[in-house]
Amino acid sequence: MTTSTVDRSKPPGPGTRASTWARRHLFRNWGDSALTVVFGGIGLYVAYRFFVFVFVNARWEIIETNLKLLMVGRWPVPHLPRIAVAVGVFALWGGLIAGLIAARQMRRGAYLPATMTPLGRAGDLLRRFGLVIATGLLLLAMTDTSGPWLMAAGAVAGGTIGRFLGAWIGKRVLPRWVSRMGMLVLAIVPFVIYFYLVDAVPLAEWEGFFFNITSAAAGIILCFPLGVLLALGRRSQLPLLRTLSVGYIEFVRAAPLYVLLLLANVSLEFFVPPSIAPSKVTRAVVTFTLFTAAYLAEIVRGGLQSVPRGQEEAAKALGLSPTRQIGLIILPQALRNVIPAQIGQFISLFKDTTLAGLALGILDMLSVAQAITQQDAFRGQGLIIETLVFVGFMFWVGSFTMSRESQRLERKLGVGNR
Amino acid sequence: MNNQQDAVFADATQDVGDAIIELESVDKFFGSFQALKDINLKVGKQEVVVVCGPSGSGKSTMIRCINRLEEHDSGRIVVDGIELSEDVRNIQEIRRETGMVFQQFNLFPHLSVIDNVTLAPRQVRHMPKKEAEDLAMKLLERVRIPEQAKKYPGQLSGGQQQRVAIARSLAMKPKVMLFDEPTSALDPEMINEVLDVMKDLAREGMTMMVVTHEMGFAREVADRVVFMADGQIVEVGTPEHFFTNPREDRTKLFLSQIL
Repeated sequence: MTTSTVDRSKPPGPGTRASTWARRHLFRNWGDSALTVVFGGIGLYVAYRFFVFVFVNARWEIIETNLKLLMVGRWPVPHLPRIAVAVGVFALWGGLIAGLIAARQMRRGAYLPATMTPLGRAGDLLRRFGLVIATGLLLLAMTDTSGPWLMAAGAVAGGTIGRFLGAWIGKRVLPRWVSRMGMLVLAIVPFVIYFYLVDAVPLAEWEGFFFNITSAAAGIILCFPLGVLLALGRRSQLPLLRTLSVGYIEFVRAAPLYVLLLLANVSLEFFVPPSIAPSKVTRAVVTFTLFTAAYLAEIVRGGLQSVPRGQEEAAKALGLSPTRQIGLIILPQALRNVIPAQIGQFISLFKDTTLAGLALGILDMLSVAQAITQQDAFRGQGLIIETLVFVGFMFWVGSFTMSRESQRLERKLGVGNR
Repeated sequence: MNNQQDAVFADATQDVGDAIIELESVDKFFGSFQALKDINLKVGKQEVVVVCGPSGSGKSTMIRCINRLEEHDSGRIVVDGIELSEDVRNIQEIRRETGMVFQQFNLFPHLSVIDNVTLAPRQVRHMPKKEAEDLAMKLLERVRIPEQAKKYPGQLSGGQQQRVAIARSLAMKPKVMLFDEPTSALDPEMINEVLDVMKDLAREGMTMMVVTHEMGFAREVADRVVFMADGQIVEVGTPEHFFTNPREDRTKLFLSQIL
């Protein structure tokens, strides 16, 4: 051995050169080298074709021209400001809640504000919502009217103001009735916005991505209590309640969502006269709710089983009533233990809203994407790829952000480090 | 302490003055297995009773029957004049008067230490928040960990967790404290910090039933020692009698194994 050999007294650390790394991991022997060349080549080729398509060949003008249709369907233009107002109020509302929660956590000493500089906080926000912001800017760049820009500005302003206002209010000690009233007001905000929108445009005309988002949100909010009740019902001591819950869960889980949506479309006429039959959007939301509740019930049941028996015994021994044992001790831990599975189910629901287009004939974003390829200007040019890529991308942005937020929530609530 | 020093041998059903816990011919089955066989025991006010015996002898089952974590199949259980029955109100009332400390602590991991302690007074006794927190801080001082009030159970050592569990039970101002092997899950160096708190409690006149293998604790603190085997009470006596001159062969065998 001469001095030119590698210094073996030091372990090969991360500091080794890229060529060394590549030799060790990619070209260790002939087999490895062959695999690297073949799959590396395929990967590069696919990436190249993808970039060429997205940045050179794709005719995104079909999206640009139909952006309004894709986003909100045939929502009447004079009523578009209502959506902007709704988005702004929601941003304010969400910011307010986020601020209140942050202030509450700070008061309890759960996290230290000192570790978060303004710059660090901006970076954190960018990591969390950078994808959404970038997508928003991309969409804004495609518009030629000022409305969307105003809406975006309103949303950012609303969110920021709400966040700081929430933190400011949260630091103060308020009389009990004031905070109760405040919570009540926060709880009815979504309903107020709903009626504000429905007042202008009936539910039956909610279309485009707006339909996908609102119906998913409504389904998520409505299925949650139902799913939890079903999970508790399944564990109940009362045979009737248990049988009903099990029966419901097993029946709904055995049916494909698409079939249920088709049934919702046709079966209602058997029972109610068409004049009072609910709109297609209502039927879609009800079906989403009932369907997801059954899955959520099983997820929550798993969570309930993950809470050690000793927790219930300790709650009993302290004299807590059965309702409080469940509400204060068992459920909070059970729900926290299954956050990833719950969010996964919600992401699933978000994507499944596209099924409503075909099953119920609602003009959701996917249906719009298919329909616009038949417009005179674009017919017969194979632009379906562009529109499908766009729809897929929009759903990916939403799903990926939800998934990341769920991981964050999990970390924050300290699952796995108790 | 209600010492019965002159009694050479204290019978299980002896007159202990005002009995606060009474068990009368209690039987308990798990399926076809009889876990408790004709248990008769009275515990007097301010008395400290240590229950010992080999594992599987029914010690834990017995004290878990007292606050209805297990349901007894026949016989009577009376706590502070309330008979345990199917009546949910009776069960709740007995649980309010009876604190319990578990082998695995069973603190609520999603609540901070102080919230663990204030939960029951606020929810069950409807105590105002401020008052409950003052009480909790006083109790945490008594178990010598006031500085941990804002932490979560997962951040504490086993011994600290068990002391919080004791404070949590005391917050309900119980008349009786039941301890189900409170030191069995602890590392050896933490056992004493928990036993010290329990000794304080005994000195302050709390009525206690303690299932434990800590014979030193039994010798020092107990008014009476109950020895159980195979679901039966084999022998009951004062510590001096129990440790120096046990009557039954089973007791002698057990003591020879454990001491």
